[in-house]
Amino acid sequence: MIDKKAIRVALVGRPNTGKSSLFNRLTGLRQKVGNYPGVTMEKTMGLSKWAPGVLAEIIDLPGIYSLHASSVDEQVVMDSLLNDDVGEKIDVVIGLADGTNLKTCLFVFTQIIDLGIPAVLAITMTDQMERRGMELQVSDLSESLGVPISLINARSGQGIDQLRADVLKATSSSKGPFFQPGGLHLQWVNQVDQDHDFNSVYKSWLYGLSSTVYSDLINNTGRTPARVRADEAIKRYRVVNDWLRQFFHTDPGKDRRWTARLDKWIVNPIWGSVILFGLLFIIFQALFYGSETPMNFIDDQFAHLSNFLSGILPSSFLSHLITNGIIPGISGVLIFIPQIALLFGFIALLEESGYMARVVFIMDRFMRPFGLSGKSVVPMVSGTACAIPAIMSTRNMENSRERWLAIAVTPLITCAARLPVYALLISLVIPDQSFFGMSLRGLVLFGLYLIGFVTALLGSALLTKIMPTAKVNPFLLEMPSYRLPQLKNVAHAILNRTKSFVSEAGKIILAISVVLWFFASFGPGKAPDFNQDYVAIPIEDSYVGKMGKAIEPVMKPLGFDWKVSIAVLSSFVAREVFVGTMATLYSVDDNEKSSIREQMAKQKNPVTGEPYFNLAVGVSLLLFYAFAMQCMSTYAVVARETRSHKFAAIQFLILGILAYGAAFLAYSALA
Amino acid sequence: MYLSDLKVGQKAIVLQASISLPVKLYEMGCMPGEEIELNYAAPFSGPMCFLVQGTSISMRKELAELVPITDPNIKSLQNDR
Repeated sequence: MIDKKAIRVALVGRPNTGKSSLFNRLTGLRQKVGNYPGVTMEKTMGLSKWAPGVLAEIIDLPGIYSLHASSVDEQVVMDSLLNDDVGEKIDVVIGLADGTNLKTCLFVFTQIIDLGIPAVLAITMTDQMERRGMELQVSDLSESLGVPISLINARSGQGIDQLRADVLKATSSSKGPFFQPGGLHLQWVNQVDQDHDFNSVYKSWLYGLSSTVYSDLINNTGRTPARVRADEAIKRYRVVNDWLRQFFHTDPGKDRRWTARLDKWIVNPIWGSVILFGLLFIIFQALFYGSETPMNFIDDQFAHLSNFLSGILPSSFLSHLITNGIIPGISGVLIFIPQIALLFGFIALLEESGYMARVVFIMDRFMRPFGLSGKSVVPMVSGTACAIPAIMSTRNMENSRERWLAIAVTPLITCAARLPVYALLISLVIPDQSFFGMSLRGLVLFGLYLIGFVTALLGSALLTKIMPTAKVNPFLLEMPSYRLPQLKNVAHAILNRTKSFVSEAGKIILAISVVLWFFASFGPGKAPDFNQDYVAIPIEDSYVGKMGKAIEPVMKPLGFDWKVSIAVLSSFVAREVFVGTMATLYSVDDNEKSSIREQMAKQKNPVTGEPYFNLAVGVSLLLFYAFAMQCMSTYAVVARETRSHKFAAIQFLILGILAYGAAFLAYSALA
Repeated sequence: MYLSDLKVGQKAIVLQASISLPVKLYEMGCMPGEEIELNYAAPFSGPMCFLVQGTSISMRKELAELVPITDPNIKSLQNDR
């Protein structure tokens, strides 16, 4: 039954004001993650029963510095607050203000009040205010704002009941508006109001300034929209400063002491780099080795389940679809959870503690020449484990252009799935020699990692050059005070990210996996024998086999014969499948790497009679795997994160061309 | 004088710019008439972090080069008086 009294409550405030802590407090575990219409931003909502018959839907809006949209985050907040549609309209806004940084928080809150939406103010970080000797005359400020204020501590839950009570009887501010458009702007504001029926001067003002439709009218006033917004900011700060001068008392010496002390080390050019690289190294190690055991466990359990079911189910199309198509597909989705959970746990810790802003600060200088900022460091490093969590981690980037760049180049970073392929091929074609005291094979492997990083960075630089930007976001970043991370928030972040991966990208991965199973098991006019002893059709007769043979002429300039072409095609499931497919093609019974290697080493080139896997073929294959986006899960996650199959398809195509070109050049040079 | 000329720990007052600066700068609290201090700067002309209106804001040097300020040395003389 849908409760008629469900009220929609939005949390609005600057970043780092303890918004997610309050959200988790207000909703508990009943959260769901969705997307804002039209943008890739994630939105978290939660239902909570507040009183008998009163249900509240809490919406966690992104942190913003102003209601005027300079970033996607701000656009989302503005759109949500201007939306009057049934089922979308926000009934009450809880404005958040960090008590230790009231001035800039109140600036945003006065904008919220001027919208005319019922609002209440929640002041957070009250424990820190006390510790730093800050005093606020709450009732005086509340009277000036014309809305109730509750002092809350999300950690202990103090003040939450008061806040709920305030929300239930919230009204529009009895004071305000705190800013009114001057006479020369009234004409265009009225025009916006007429066109869109906002019935609110400030809503029309916000909308008009954000829309290009009205820029001519606004420019007619002799001021640019940017200038108009700046004037508004100055006027609002004047009002806020006036309040704080009367109602807020602080001892400036005590302020920001800890943060300043920690920053001496953390942003120090030498120590800061040591700390940063130490942390990145720990994250890298954890993603690589910490996820190994749970990943093997998931793999084994699903293999057992598959074996068990094929043992008890009668052999049929359906049972094989389940045991060889669906179960491996589900396993292929769940296998990423350990890495996703670990990476997002680390990211949440970095964000919560305030360290992430310092990472951006330290690394910005190095990433800048490539069109990226310091924020891209996290996806680049986690990409060495797996592109899936790495691409998901770009969600933390406010700058949508940089985010797209990072998504575009991350699949080039050498991920863990390439390692088995590299290991097999390197041991096959690179002699076991030492080179200036270093293992030649080790050097080649290192070189492949280097190629991945360098192409990713150069690719980003190139894309920056050729892709024109309409709107350049200035690099402006708040450096929050350091704070002890709340484990509850970290847990929520992990849970929400994992849920959204499984429910969204998971669907695509499962579907592709089933389709690929069909293509590998069936052929034109051929089907496996589903009788008691299941007899698979030879892989060369399957659709994948036929495709492999069909593309042989295309792959020939790279030195790939039809067997290698089939293995390359089937690698689209995941790169490491190359090894297994080679084993099937050369009729190696077990997946023992050494025996596959021996079989492959025995293959002769039918023309020359020399071993087929020579240096030229080997290097060509290595480079192909270094560049090609042969991973359906990466495709799925890119399509989901960019909300665009076109983006993922173009990326797949360009990386494919790059792979082909590099392999072709290498083969031509070495053959 | 511009923000980029400040040394670590030096304070100055932000002046009205003659060109149009990103509005976000104003909205984050960095606006004419406010006192601003350089907290720290990254090496090799990397980003700079300023304290203004109780908030620490980092920006790239190229933006700091556009924000006019009072001469920090003259300002301290005024304070002494």
